[in-house]
Amino acid sequence: MTDRGDGAQQLVLTLEEALELVTFLVSSAEICLHEPRFYGTFRLVDGASRLIDRVLQHGENQSTAFLTAFKQEIDANKAAMMSDRDTYYAFLRALPAPAAAELKRLRAGSILEVPS
Amino acid sequence: MTGSTPSSAIDGPSLLAFMKSRRVTRDFTDAPIPDEILAAIAAAGRWATSGGNGYPNQFLIVRDLERIELVRAASPGMIPVPPALILIGIDTEKAERFSMHVEPETMHWVDVGTAAMNMMNVAHAYGIGSCPVTSFSKGGVATMLDLPPTIDPVFILILGYPAPSIRVRNPNAPRPLTARDITSWERIGNHEPA
Repeated sequence: MTDRGDGAQQLVLTLEEALELVTFLVSSAEICLHEPRFYGTFRLVDGASRLIDRVLQHGENQSTAFLTAFKQEIDANKAAMMSDRDTYYAFLRALPAPAAAELKRLRAGSILEVPS
Repeated sequence: MTGSTPSSAIDGPSLLAFMKSRRVTRDFTDAPIPDEILAAIAAAGRWATSGGNGYPNQFLIVRDLERIELVRAASPGMIPVPPALILIGIDTEKAERFSMHVEPETMHWVDVGTAAMNMMNVAHAYGIGSCPVTSFSKGGVATMLDLPPTIDPVFILILGYPAPSIRVRNPNAPRPLTARDITSWERIGNHEPA
């Protein structure tokens, strides 16, 4: 990754927070060995929510508005895994596009940004 | 039946209604739980049944939020950060001394389950919400809580005062399970006593 010196390159996690998420991810991988297959999808989106939570604790960044809304979307719908599988699957299928669009927007803004 | 509490202290219909009113709680306030209540919840686990009167369970109460957050990192099933938790572990040495076969899905899991259910009901009686957590890495949790190798972590009960929430009924949710659905009389499938 190139260092463009813009806001998109802002560091948003401490080492401890990164290790916390690493522990969460590998623990999720381990329990996926014996839990129902679709639980793995829940662990991934819940992990995304936990990651966003930590990022937002570091204050404003260029994606704060998006991340706040995206986390709310995840947290409001992830529990459907327990009660309404069709709704849950539709929620999962709808998640990647806005995340991809935000990454694209961030990248485009970085490239267009003129260093002062 | 023996014991100091008369059986008429709580009538059956009231107790059943109380048990039916308990729900899993996943949103807690930050309010700490008094130690005496946590002790009472653990005592409820003590008074659960245990196969062969063996009691291989060990209860570890954790109130330190930093340690709880560490446990949560290795416990994907722990969604909120609760103000307290009780880990139920099996003392494998004690279980072996009692000649139990300590293997997954054998009698010690029943002991853990009966203890946990007692705890959840007593927690409910104190106005404490609870949520069972079994989706965790045993190795990860043992490390976070400095468990001795003889303690096998099996179950985590997270506890806290329920946060105010609006319960929205999902119109697509399946019909709630009734006792009748899973109860038969004399032969499986006969759902009426007659």
